[in-house]
Amino acid sequence: MTVLRLVITRILLSVLTLLIVSIAIFAIIEVLPGDVATRMLGRDATPAAIAVFREKMHLNDPAVVRYVHWLGGILHGDFGQALTSSRPIADILAPRIFNTLLLSIYAFLIYLPLALIPALVQASHRDRQVDHVISVINLVFLSTPDFLLGTVLLLAFTVALPLFPAVSMLDDNSSALEYLRAMTLPAVTLAIAMAIAAVRMLRDNLIEVLDSDYVRMAELKGLPRHAVLLRHALPNALVPTLNITAINLGYLVGGVVIVEKVYSYPGFGRLMIDALQLRDVPLIEATVLIASTVYVGANMLADVGAILLNPRLRKG
Amino acid sequence: MVAGVTTPRKRRSFGALWRRAPMSLRIGSVILLLQFLIAATGPFWAPYGPAQIQTGVPLSGMSWQHPFGVDQLGRDVFSRAVYGGHIVILLSLSGTFLGLVIGAIVGLFSGYVGGWVDEVLQRLLEAMISIPFLVLALIAIVAVGPALSGNPILLVLIVALIYSPRIARMARAAALDIVTRDFVTVARLRGESAWSVMKRELLPNATSVLLVEFALRAGYAPILIGSLGFLGFGLRPPTPEWGLMMSENRSLIIFSPMTVLGPGLMLASLVVGLNLFTEGFARILGRTVRLGDK
Repeated sequence: MTVLRLVITRILLSVLTLLIVSIAIFAIIEVLPGDVATRMLGRDATPAAIAVFREKMHLNDPAVVRYVHWLGGILHGDFGQALTSSRPIADILAPRIFNTLLLSIYAFLIYLPLALIPALVQASHRDRQVDHVISVINLVFLSTPDFLLGTVLLLAFTVALPLFPAVSMLDDNSSALEYLRAMTLPAVTLAIAMAIAAVRMLRDNLIEVLDSDYVRMAELKGLPRHAVLLRHALPNALVPTLNITAINLGYLVGGVVIVEKVYSYPGFGRLMIDALQLRDVPLIEATVLIASTVYVGANMLADVGAILLNPRLRKG
Repeated sequence: MVAGVTTPRKRRSFGALWRRAPMSLRIGSVILLLQFLIAATGPFWAPYGPAQIQTGVPLSGMSWQHPFGVDQLGRDVFSRAVYGGHIVILLSLSGTFLGLVIGAIVGLFSGYVGGWVDEVLQRLLEAMISIPFLVLALIAIVAVGPALSGNPILLVLIVALIYSPRIARMARAAALDIVTRDFVTVARLRGESAWSVMKRELLPNATSVLLVEFALRAGYAPILIGSLGFLGFGLRPPTPEWGLMMSENRSLIIFSPMTVLGPGLMLASLVVGLNLFTEGFARILGRTVRLGDK
């Protein structure tokens, strides 16, 4: 029962956190600094225009009423109306989220070997030349901003070696192959950015496991090296790595903002940047809330996973 | 003791200390020293001014006169990159420092008082950390409005806003560990105020945690500032901030790649230096540091 209780507690805490986040987002954008109408329309707007705008946006209602109205709508899948487009926000969001979801899955598939292979090589050659070299490469990548990494890849594979398009033009008629070509460079950029932190952590975890008694036992039994590494060490090192993978999923939410800008990829991140640039308040609120939900959800899943995978909690 | 600080404090020559220091600290220090030197002295020897136009032919690529090429306005990108150093370094360090001060006060206080105050503070910090940091920075900048956007002070506040909850979490964890010690109980029984216990008992014992945390965050701050500049929400043109320069010169990348890569390399090398320094520094203090924890 304890496991179930822990899991439920964790889920409830996440919901509470999200509720606070939604209040914070709403407060930061709508309540705190000055008047939304003046900010939206600029300082030269006539009082009449501001009055019309305030009426349209329900800005004359108290903040609490507006918040409840806003949140209530979202819980019913109604994000309201964008200011800079006549379409409902949900319709604007859907294709962008689809594009970014595809990109994320693609990135995640590349991320797995990119994280696993260097870590396995490092752990099995610990403190030797390869280990140090990979560590140094890792640190350099870790210190490289995503937009620089993206730019270098862009330069390498669209200009020096023209394999991929420089700008991702996608619409409903794009074929699967066009999608794949457009997504490859952004996905690789995201995957490298995600893999870097994971490699460090996975290497340390693997080494810790390799030092344990049961791995020594497996070695003494005469199992081949790769069997010890893959069958005994890796599964045990994966559990702590779950945490970093969740952090990575959260990172992905911020990372797509940069990467989609670098490659002009028509996804969720670019929608958010556009909304921010145009100061489209309802659209900003919707995108930021979705981004935070993904982040909180990923962290919750990691914690729940860690609880479920921890054998010490299974009985009791 | 919380930290495994080297106990016998004998006077050693700088050379001896240097040789004993971890390799990462040594290389990191050299890179940082170079960066600081460039940032501090650059304005005296940079071939052109940061805003000087018509220094060469735009799109002409790299040459000895213009190692990083020339941008669309004919400005020398190398000179601009050199001038950018002190801006990036100053903003990063002051923003992180402000975040450290706020984070340490909130975190130590939260851990020390405990109870429902701690619980409420933890929920709030958790919520702040739950908004992806770049997204939080962006909405804060947009919320402040156009009047202040591009203001360096705003950027310092944004860096502090992003890092203070993260630093507070570490400070709280350290405080929870320290408050159980006898000397804290004794201080409390002496009737010292919470502020005084925090300052005289908790803070000195959390120093190594906070120093490592500062170094770690300072290492990522230049990327945060650069990312905001790159997205068009950071410093304003014509400031020679590296991320902003990269986004300004993006259209030139095919003709003159160094106009984009040059500022990028300056930024990356600064962060490499900071990260190497942090890793070695943490090792000296006997702490592990999770580089890459953004």
